[in-house]
Amino acid sequence: MFYLNLMVNGVVEGLIIGLAALALNLVFAVGRFPNAASGDFMTIGAYAGYSVQQLGSHSALVQGLAAVAASVAVSLASYALVFRHLVGRSMVAPLLASIGLGLFYRSIVSLLFGLDPLFFVMPPIHAYTVAGLRLQGTDLWLATLAAASVAIVLLLLHVTPIGREMRAVADNALLARASGIRSRRVMIALWSMVGAITGIAGLVVALRTTVNPELGWGLLLPAFAAAVLGGVGSPAGAILAGLLLGVMQELSTPWLGFSYKIALSFVVLTVVLLVRPQGLFGTAQVVR
Amino acid sequence: MNNSRRQFVRHGSFAALALAMAARVPAAFAQSGENLRIGALNDVTGAGSPYGGGMQKAILMAADEINATGGAGGRRIEVFAEDSQTAPDAGVLAAKKLIEVNKVHAILGTWSSGVAAAVMPLTDAAGIIHCTNAGASNITSSKGLMFRYSALSVRIGQALAREIAKRGHTRLATMAFNNPSGREITGGAKQGWEKLGRQLVGEVVYEPNRPSYRSEVQTILANNPDAIVLGGYLPDFTVILRETRQAGSNVKFYAPAWAVNQKLIDALGAPACEGVMTHDYVAALDSTAYKTFVDKFKKATGIDPTENYYACCAYDMMTVVGLAAQAAGGKPAIAPMMRAVANPPGTMMYDFVSGKKALAAGTKINYEGASGPIDFDDLGNVKPLFKLSEVRNGKVELVGNAFQDY
Repeated sequence: MFYLNLMVNGVVEGLIIGLAALALNLVFAVGRFPNAASGDFMTIGAYAGYSVQQLGSHSALVQGLAAVAASVAVSLASYALVFRHLVGRSMVAPLLASIGLGLFYRSIVSLLFGLDPLFFVMPPIHAYTVAGLRLQGTDLWLATLAAASVAIVLLLLHVTPIGREMRAVADNALLARASGIRSRRVMIALWSMVGAITGIAGLVVALRTTVNPELGWGLLLPAFAAAVLGGVGSPAGAILAGLLLGVMQELSTPWLGFSYKIALSFVVLTVVLLVRPQGLFGTAQVVR
Repeated sequence: MNNSRRQFVRHGSFAALALAMAARVPAAFAQSGENLRIGALNDVTGAGSPYGGGMQKAILMAADEINATGGAGGRRIEVFAEDSQTAPDAGVLAAKKLIEVNKVHAILGTWSSGVAAAVMPLTDAAGIIHCTNAGASNITSSKGLMFRYSALSVRIGQALAREIAKRGHTRLATMAFNNPSGREITGGAKQGWEKLGRQLVGEVVYEPNRPSYRSEVQTILANNPDAIVLGGYLPDFTVILRETRQAGSNVKFYAPAWAVNQKLIDALGAPACEGVMTHDYVAALDSTAYKTFVDKFKKATGIDPTENYYACCAYDMMTVVGLAAQAAGGKPAIAPMMRAVANPPGTMMYDFVSGKKALAAGTKINYEGASGPIDFDDLGNVKPLFKLSEVRNGKVELVGNAFQDY
């Protein structure tokens, strides 16, 4: 029962990491670079939700909408002002630009809100205990929200025309263009999606812990580990890998302790890169 | 004609050089009149922000007082204020700037153990005084340049263990933020508990900034403790307390004062915080020095320093350094004079003005400060008064009397 409860903790944490990894994988698949500013989109979403609460609204829906709106705005702005101009260059250029953008957003947030952690007003709510398994009401809601976001994204990707276009660009950008797919539309859809996902992830993290400028940055490395494990370029893989890593981390704590469980993600990352670089679901890409 | 001009230039330049050197020579003596540059390195932002701003203001206030009397030992105090952000990397950057660019003679007012431990090697290498409130035992100086205006965290932990036993708890567990401060408070509690012949029922060390502390809380509650000594800070304690209450446990937390304040109560609501115990240093509330300091501080800043023991310490740090500089007669070697002006025996002094007068008259003084008696032991530590408080109905209230035997 102790271990089952640890697993439940791992699932909730894994969903958050999975969301961040999903954002990373989407950008990598369609935009062809690792977006190091993903974490900071999350942070901005969290601060937007916090501001809404400070302005008086305690409705989770309104906070969520604010978080999504803010992250989408920042994500689209990042694309329009920076990443769009780096298309065609090697991967290093947008990667470095995203690192710089992330630092910039973190500084803006620190300037506006200060460096101290801020707290959502969230009095404790008792957990339901079902046959020894402890289920936290708020966590269930947040997990459902995260899962729903994932489902919506996968649906959009596989059922809608724009999703099909995104997958086409991810497969072979040149061929997609030759087939008449307008990259501008695809990119706007991509970055909006990324913004929405990171906004939700950021708000979920902030509701469970604190709102601080390093919120997203701290999750970036586990997210990268999950993205690589899942297969860079595979959205479903990112979620599954996130869940797997989250559960493994929590289950390992009786042996590894709480300080070293974080290292587990990186051991996994290293092993995956050595043994099966395309991850669980990614496809190996031949680089000429 | 060229020859004479050349001769004139040569003689003239020799003369000018000689004059300049002559002008320099009194400057060598006047080096003792050089400004006493102080680095006020305080945690104005970050986990130490409840105290850092007040500490910085107190140092500036004390420096103004000293300068109003004409300086310490003929030296005017010049304060360079920096924010260490309760983060070791920011603290080190600021300390390097203070030492290398501003060339300060002392760094005062570091508060968090992380910052103080990171800055300690820098101040020792530069041979300058470091006055701190940080409690970690790895903050020591091989040159006798460290002066700690608090107790070692280990001793606080030991005192807590004894108090907890006195209050009838039998199952104690510890949770430590993974840094020297957190680990030493809980390490001291463990030592104190084991000295009473008992064993801890759980020990957890947790990392900062985790997306959740559910597993940590689940682990610590596994053996049903009735009290938990927590060495940590406000952000992590907020999450941990929330998770613990959500798990249905009413275990009694004993957490440091910097983790238990109005922000915690606002975030979690008064019912969840009911019964949380917190420990803090307390200034010598009845002393002359404290009362006059409070008046001066309120007038200068409009803030009541009663809840900020560390601001009282910062004021004393600057005053003691000033008195030591006065006792050193304006010469650069201030550190050897620190104990001479602060430790007994000597005529008790409560402020800089009277201390300066007494020193000028050749009297041995013993400065008793706003924060406490300030008597440094061999390692540079003092023994401040210590108090326990409890959160009741959304307010932090003192419990029992302040004590000093620990």
